[in-house]
Amino acid sequence: MRPYRTTPGRIIGKTILAFAGFMAVFPLAWTALNSLKNNVDIITRVPRLVFTPTLDNINYIIGRDSVMTGLYNSIIACGFAVLIGVVLGLPAAYAVARYPNRWAGDIQFFVLSLRFLPPVAVAIPLMVIWLQIGLYDTLPALIVTYSLLTISVIMWLAIPAFQAVPKEIEEAAFVDGYGAYSVFWRIALPVAARSLIGAVAFSFVLVWNEFLIALMLSSSNAKTLPIVASELSQQGMNVPWGILNASVVLLSLPPLLFLGVLSGFLNSVFRQKKT
Amino acid sequence: MSAIVCSHVDKSYGATTVIRDLNLSIEEHEFVVFLGPSGCGKSTLLRMLAGLEDISGGEVSIGGRVVNDLEPGERGIAMVFQNYALYPHMTIFDNIAFGLKRQKVPVAEIKKRVEAVAKTLGLEPYLARKPTELSGGQQQRVAIARAMIKTPKVFLFDEPLSNLDAKLRNHMRVEIARLHQSLKTTTVYVTHDQLEAMTLADRIVLLRDGVIEQIGSPAEIYRRPGNLFVAGFIGTPNMNFIDVAVGRKDDRWALTGAGATFLIDGSDFDLRGVHRAVLGIRPPDLKTAGGGDSTNLLQGTADLIEFHGNDALVTFACSGKEVSALVPARECPVLRAPVRYTFEQESVHLFDATTGASLRRQEKA
Repeated sequence: MRPYRTTPGRIIGKTILAFAGFMAVFPLAWTALNSLKNNVDIITRVPRLVFTPTLDNINYIIGRDSVMTGLYNSIIACGFAVLIGVVLGLPAAYAVARYPNRWAGDIQFFVLSLRFLPPVAVAIPLMVIWLQIGLYDTLPALIVTYSLLTISVIMWLAIPAFQAVPKEIEEAAFVDGYGAYSVFWRIALPVAARSLIGAVAFSFVLVWNEFLIALMLSSSNAKTLPIVASELSQQGMNVPWGILNASVVLLSLPPLLFLGVLSGFLNSVFRQKKT
Repeated sequence: MSAIVCSHVDKSYGATTVIRDLNLSIEEHEFVVFLGPSGCGKSTLLRMLAGLEDISGGEVSIGGRVVNDLEPGERGIAMVFQNYALYPHMTIFDNIAFGLKRQKVPVAEIKKRVEAVAKTLGLEPYLARKPTELSGGQQQRVAIARAMIKTPKVFLFDEPLSNLDAKLRNHMRVEIARLHQSLKTTTVYVTHDQLEAMTLADRIVLLRDGVIEQIGSPAEIYRRPGNLFVAGFIGTPNMNFIDVAVGRKDDRWALTGAGATFLIDGSDFDLRGVHRAVLGIRPPDLKTAGGGDSTNLLQGTADLIEFHGNDALVTFACSGKEVSALVPARECPVLRAPVRYTFEQESVHLFDATTGASLRRQEKA
């Protein structure tokens, strides 16, 4: 192997990488810092790194009923939508990947086409449908609608993940006497787990951050956290920057927690128990 | 009772026929090798035995039971795959035990049997590891252990050694041969490597384009190839082929081609009414001609010499036709030297020029 050397190209490369990393992380870090600042410290001309931290913003956010309702709605809607997406999407993706029939290509395209449409085009008819059924502005409506998104995203990402599982491994399990369902549970799922975690996490982030459909399907009861957070900025000329930043932090925490818990959970489930 | 019987078996994918009207009977305890070039249908046939491919037509029975509609797990077979196909998320122990768990074998017995099999194959130190932590040879041994532990009626091997390097391949070949000696389980083994086929097989089934070209013991197939394809496929270095015209001279048959006339008794062959034939002669059957030899000579100028160790392969042009002779290295000529080789008439193979079928008399075969 070539010895590790410090060449000008390498230095330039690393500098660019470091810069890109800084660009990505700094706004997040700054937001987190601002959530701990008094408004005076935020709107000052010279940005301050040293300041007297305050928990007022966070207390204000947590103390507001609308925020907690939004958080609850978001967790319920996204949690169930992802759960439904996993329960229906993964087996569907496996079926399309392993037992393709003459509709498999069409199914794949249809699932993908749901994501081609501008969300508004989907949201308006859905709003009419839910209004007619009488479920407008309820969590079930939001869960079903979000499930459409999670199923399609999970299928879209899981089909190639299942196709990447070597066929021989599944055949070996068939020869070992297992049926199609056992092979799915005991072989395909664990072997493809890494990519599937990515698919599930991505679908969660997608619906967690979803704004437009939530805006159109809720008026008061079923508002999700992004809607509530956006309303915080509409309080007149005097923008409460600290509170806004604190709500952004609150909005960002669940996806991070979800990712951490999910990957840890799956790792432990699929690690073989010692016999 | 035959262990495996295929009668009138067909396989087609849509309009493409892969296997045509194949009939084959494999005896119990037999080691049969399916040999043939890529795409000849040998792996497909094996996978049909395993139940991993549907049988388009005909009937396959294993141990006296028609298995056409049985799942792979119900056929009493175990299979070793080319790329090992170990379960990557399980330890070696669980890989080997996976099939037994399905059969609801008690945990204590599974442990005992896995340990016994692991001992036979020298896998004891690795039982707690994952497949990716093992070398290719060790992984293949795990795959064999996984097949062995189910004590199947039939072992199926699908090119099991082709992912290993040459040295390991020889080693594993010997292990498989020993394993078969001790277990005596009926074995079907697919390979495109004729050395594996020759060394392992009780019988070789030589396939081309989904049709059996010849079935026979390795010696039969080597000594009495049934047609031009078999003759050209089996044997390294390849058999020399010379187009000849067939005629009579005195009491003998005169075969004229490549600028020479070869005289043979021809008692082994049915040459009546044949005008054109292909004469086949294996490179090791060509001997350096002495000064006294005057018949059945092949001569030319050595234009390529490949040193093999004990032997050397001398390639020379004989009236424009390239011919190779495998001679002891000490008799090896220098490059561009004139060479003369002769052969015993017993070592001659003759094939019909149009059909390619062997002209050897059937009763002698």
